[in-house]
Amino acid sequence: PNPAPQVAAPEAKAVPAPVAATTAATAAPAADAKAATAGPDDGSLPGYTPMKPTPGVGMPVDRGVDFQDQYSANGEYAKWLNNSILLPIITIISLFVLGLLLFVVVRFRRSANPNPSKTTHNTFIEIVWTLVPVLILLGIAYPSLTLVAKQFKPAPKEAVTVKITGYQWYWGYTYPDHGGFEVVSNMLKEQSQVGPGERYRTENDGPSHLAVDARMVVPAGVPIRIQTTAADVIHSFAVPSLWFKLDAVPGRLNEKQLLIEKPGVYFGQCSELCGARHGYMPIAVEALPPEKFAAWIKAKGGTMPGEKPAEAPAAPAAATAAAPAAAAPVAAAAAAVPAK
Amino acid sequence: MAGAKNHDYHILPPSITPLLGSFSALTMFFGMVMMFQPKVLGGYGSLVFGAGLIGVLYTFWTWWADVIREAHAGDHTPVVQLHLRYGMILFIASEVMFFVGWFWAWFDYSLFPVPLQVEIDHATHAFTVTNLIGQEGAAALEQWPPKGMQVFDAFSLPLLNTLILLCSGTTVTWAHHALIHGDRKGLINGLWLTIILGVIFSCVQAYEYSIAPFPFAGLNYGSAFFMATGFHGFHVIVGTIFLIVCLARAYKGHFTPKQHFGFEAAAWYWHFVDVVWLFLFVVVYVWGGWGAPVH
Amino acid sequence: MTTIAAHPADHHDHADHDHKPGFFARWFMSTNHKDIGTLYLIFAIFAGIIGGAISGMMRLELAAPGIQYLTGWASMMAGKEASLDEAYHMWNVLITAHGLIMVFFMVMPAIIGGFGNWFVPLMIGAPDMAFPRMNNISFWLTVVAFIMLLGSTFVPGGTGLGAGTGWTVYAPLSTSGSVGPAVDMAIFSLHLAGAASILGAVNFITTIFNMRAPGMTIHKMPLFVWSVLVTAFLLLLALPVLAAAITMLLVDRNFGGAFFDAAAGGDPILYQHLFWFFGHPEVYIMILPGFGIVSQIVATFSRKPVFGYLGMAYAMVAIGVVGFVVWAHHMFTIGMSVEMKMYFTAATMVIAVPTGIKIFSWIATMWGGSLSFKVPMVWALGFIFMFTVGGVTGVVLANGGLDDNLHDTYYVVAHFHYVLSLGAVFSLFAGFYYWFGKMSGRHLNEFLGHLHFWVFFIGVNVLFFPMHFLGNQGMPRRYPDYAEAYAHWNEVASIGYAIMGVGVLIFFVNVIWSLLAGRKAEGNYWGEGATTLEWTLSSPPPFHQFETLPVIK
Ligand code: HEA
Ligand code: HEA
Ligand code: CUA
Ligand SMILES: [Cu+2]
Repeated sequence: PNPAPQVAAPEAKAVPAPVAATTAATAAPAADAKAATAGPDDGSLPGYTPMKPTPGVGMPVDRGVDFQDQYSANGEYAKWLNNSILLPIITIISLFVLGLLLFVVVRFRRSANPNPSKTTHNTFIEIVWTLVPVLILLGIAYPSLTLVAKQFKPAPKEAVTVKITGYQWYWGYTYPDHGGFEVVSNMLKEQSQVGPGERYRTENDGPSHLAVDARMVVPAGVPIRIQTTAADVIHSFAVPSLWFKLDAVPGRLNEKQLLIEKPGVYFGQCSELCGARHGYMPIAVEALPPEKFAAWIKAKGGTMPGEKPAEAPAAPAAATAAAPAAAAPVAAAAAAVPAK
Repeated sequence: MAGAKNHDYHILPPSITPLLGSFSALTMFFGMVMMFQPKVLGGYGSLVFGAGLIGVLYTFWTWWADVIREAHAGDHTPVVQLHLRYGMILFIASEVMFFVGWFWAWFDYSLFPVPLQVEIDHATHAFTVTNLIGQEGAAALEQWPPKGMQVFDAFSLPLLNTLILLCSGTTVTWAHHALIHGDRKGLINGLWLTIILGVIFSCVQAYEYSIAPFPFAGLNYGSAFFMATGFHGFHVIVGTIFLIVCLARAYKGHFTPKQHFGFEAAAWYWHFVDVVWLFLFVVVYVWGGWGAPVH
Repeated sequence: MTTIAAHPADHHDHADHDHKPGFFARWFMSTNHKDIGTLYLIFAIFAGIIGGAISGMMRLELAAPGIQYLTGWASMMAGKEASLDEAYHMWNVLITAHGLIMVFFMVMPAIIGGFGNWFVPLMIGAPDMAFPRMNNISFWLTVVAFIMLLGSTFVPGGTGLGAGTGWTVYAPLSTSGSVGPAVDMAIFSLHLAGAASILGAVNFITTIFNMRAPGMTIHKMPLFVWSVLVTAFLLLLALPVLAAAITMLLVDRNFGGAFFDAAAGGDPILYQHLFWFFGHPEVYIMILPGFGIVSQIVATFSRKPVFGYLGMAYAMVAIGVVGFVVWAHHMFTIGMSVEMKMYFTAATMVIAVPTGIKIFSWIATMWGGSLSFKVPMVWALGFIFMFTVGGVTGVVLANGGLDDNLHDTYYVVAHFHYVLSLGAVFSLFAGFYYWFGKMSGRHLNEFLGHLHFWVFFIGVNVLFFPMHFLGNQGMPRRYPDYAEAYAHWNEVASIGYAIMGVGVLIFFVNVIWSLLAGRKAEGNYWGEGATTLEWTLSSPPPFHQFETLPVIK
């Protein structure tokens, strides 16, 4: 099959030189800021100070048994679906089976019932235990499929796009609507693990294993278009308190809407085995009120849609990162092997 | 063995062949790993592989020699022959599922094409492959076969090969009919023809590979094409060897109109290989190459 | 179910019916289904010890936050000081080895190779399997596959020694992401084990179709035989697809293939489809024979035939068939389309219906029965309850919208250990206690058996139940370390492991004690409830049984 007509490739429109964003490029402004303020490096930029996470919000809680509190409408619906529909149903089914077992064990133990019956059929009861589960499942299916439908609502046109790239072993967050700069996000180490002068995790950054040096900053209350891809192997972008998980697959661009209701810091972790440091590439999403988000964009040297490119000091860095890794054509090694 | 056997099943004496075969397979596969990784595991991979391969081939040889011997000793009662039939059918069923995997890959790439741009210099065989996913205008490139590559003309050599295999399907049936009617001459002639057609098929296929306008490595089309048709080719060779064994046994007069399961198994296998080819021809060559410039 | 004419099937008067070959010929060249079954069981116990010990190492490391032991173990393996990355890689090697060993070298060999070999021919009144020599190569191929897998842990696999891809071997982590021979060896190990299983499946299907004793129609077969029949079909049709998938991995790794290389048009998701097309039927391969075992045991100790025999048999067929069209519920987060997600959500939930039929039919079998609580029965009861708990969390996961949060968390780990380590393993122990006397001629100790059950039961529940909480809270799987908040339930789980370990020790004491000094077992030591053909034979049965075929009324 050859569905597409034989048109020429739109070479003219292709993005200039595909340059993968590098850590160095985006790290530069942060280093400058540090030199200027001489204070402890906490990821601050001029006009932006990272938000201090609220304990218990957007992160697991000690000895917690339930889902994390949800901060998106779909998350709340999903949590309701589990806690009010599925969990009760499966608990009742399990207890029902346990109850029946205990009943037969007591009632029909040999000493209580020495002569076994020979009943091996009862069409009515067999129909009942086929039909009742069917009905239960139909009852589950309706809200469940509703949830799936909600989750697949495409993001509206004006949504803020964040393109997320998984790397071994860190995350890159690109903002194509805001000048296309990429934020490179690494896990923060503990004080005991770093050399003098290096940045380490403080309580302002968040819990150990979850805190990162540069967060994915997004506006709260505004639809966000999340796109995921990966540069090497498969990773998965997951934030439990937003009920969000989307794999980042090389050569694919997955897309899903996210709407965070409240400003806050929401932590997550890579959720697809991606090699040695799979456990060490956490995710921190910082949702800010839209004006603060705009300020952050500005601090990063980006532009708000409709704005002219700012001549911010970080502009060169943003420009280098202009072609996000995902959009760069992935070229297979050119080979001179004779075709077999 | 035990004396009081009052049934028609085949109770076998102990045999060293399974143990030998298994450790030979282990040696062979480990040798293959050594060949993949000479820097890590040293350069004797081909020796280890060869030793293992000899063991595996020896296992096949003695195993089937035993089976033939047992058949002549009268161990293959009607019920045991039925076992063999079931065994062969089930084995072929599992082979079908193996091919499902390769077809699945082919359908994955062809039904959901990615925007690939292929450039091949047919003089030097140098090629570049670029995946433009995420680029502006990439959607126009989502076509199969990928833009910029040439494919085989389905209606030239592949069609010829289709006819050859179909022919060989009839000749093997001829041989079978001859066998059933006690016509040994017909059996031998039919087998000869089938084997010759099989060999011609393999030669044509090998020639086609040698002039392929696209590479095996570094391109999804090539990898999927060569592995699917390559595994089929491997099965053709195995089937041909199977038929050659049958031919030899036909000369020796092993087969009778009543009992000739070895021949039937070979024929079934041959038909299976034939049917796989028909699917390959339709799906890979005709449909899967449609619209692309031919070589 | 089957009614058996009391037929004097074994001829005790015959002199040479027990002529056994010498030691080497008997155990290394075997063509006897019972001996091969025994070999499989010994092998599975050996693999279970290794797989269980590895999981002990994992629980030790996870007992508290931080990296405690991995660096030491990695250094030990490498013979030199290991880096932190090598330590992390060691974690991935441990979970990969644990998953593969438990699935391919413990449960499958025990339940199909072991019990299937021993009891399918006995239960259908056959003297042996259809292809006795092929039966033996199935066993030895499994052995060499295991050797290949163990060997892979001593060679480089990327960041450190061994294959660290997870038992799912996802590309491209397993292709471009893991240089070195370890992953090649792990893949060949799967090829060998897969070939073994396919040959075994051919053998079982042929045996069951062709070697049933006169009068034993397909609808008179014991349910264990039915379960093995369905399982064998799943093996036959699912494993070749895995073989194709892992062959593609090899091609990509070693011959420049582009199957899963996105830059050259390949598709990493293709691998997941192929893997789970095999992988989901695989989980039923591990549980269906357990269903069969539990059916036999429940009937025996209720002194009552199985309730709803036909429904029980065809429920298994239904599970097998539907099991082939639900695979992508393991892939809800790959970015699939909404239609696909809805279909796989709905299709997956359907399986709860035939499974429910089984659960309720077991209970109905006991209803009105005259129950005695011998050790096998206690394990079977434990199985029914624990499998239900594992099954219903599967139904939660089946909801694609919920799985967006739960996928790849410890909730999934909890789910599958409930159906495997509490489901499949419970049925294994049940079968072992049920048939040990038949196989060895010696009784196991009842008291130790009960003690084993209770300690193990408490242990595994303490071990795996808290994992639901960890999953709800978002703890991802395949992590060697975790945030402080997850510490509590991880510690509890590790304590559960210690309790469970005591249970396994009791089991081994029991086995060794009974082999050395156990009471001799009669032919039918369970009495009138045990109605299948193996109970008409002596314990252990003669080397060649049914030299005159039994006739079923
Ligand atoms: C023995 C093995 C086994 C068995 C039997 C099952 C049985 C089931 N499994 Fe499980 N599963 C695994 C082994 C198994 N699973 C493994 C190993 C994994 C992880 C693989 C990996 O990623 O490494 C997994 C993962 C897994 C996932 C993917 C999770 C994820 O990765 O995100 C899903 C999702 O749908 C799932 C669903 C189910 C369902 C619906 C069943 C059903 O068959 C259960 C049916 C049973 C019941 C429901 C209970 C009894 C029924 C009743 C009492 C009737 C009434 C009930 C109702 C009306 C609900 N399983
Ligand atoms: C049958 C399968 C099976 C069994 C029994 C078990 C048993 C256990 N498993 Fe699991 N496990 C898996 C299959 C299994 N597992 C799989 C597939 C994975 C996923 C791997 C991956 O991510 O790739 C996994 C992953 C996994 C993890 C998650 C790792 C991670 O994601 O980082 C953990 C963590 O605690 C764990 C722990 C345990 C423990 C403590 C046991 C204990 O219950 C073990 C105790 C030992 C036994 C119960 C065995 C005793 C049996 C015998 C001695 C043989 C008896 C034989 C006869 C009677 C004939 N396992
Ligand atoms: Cu990245 Cu796991
Ligand atoms: Cu599944």
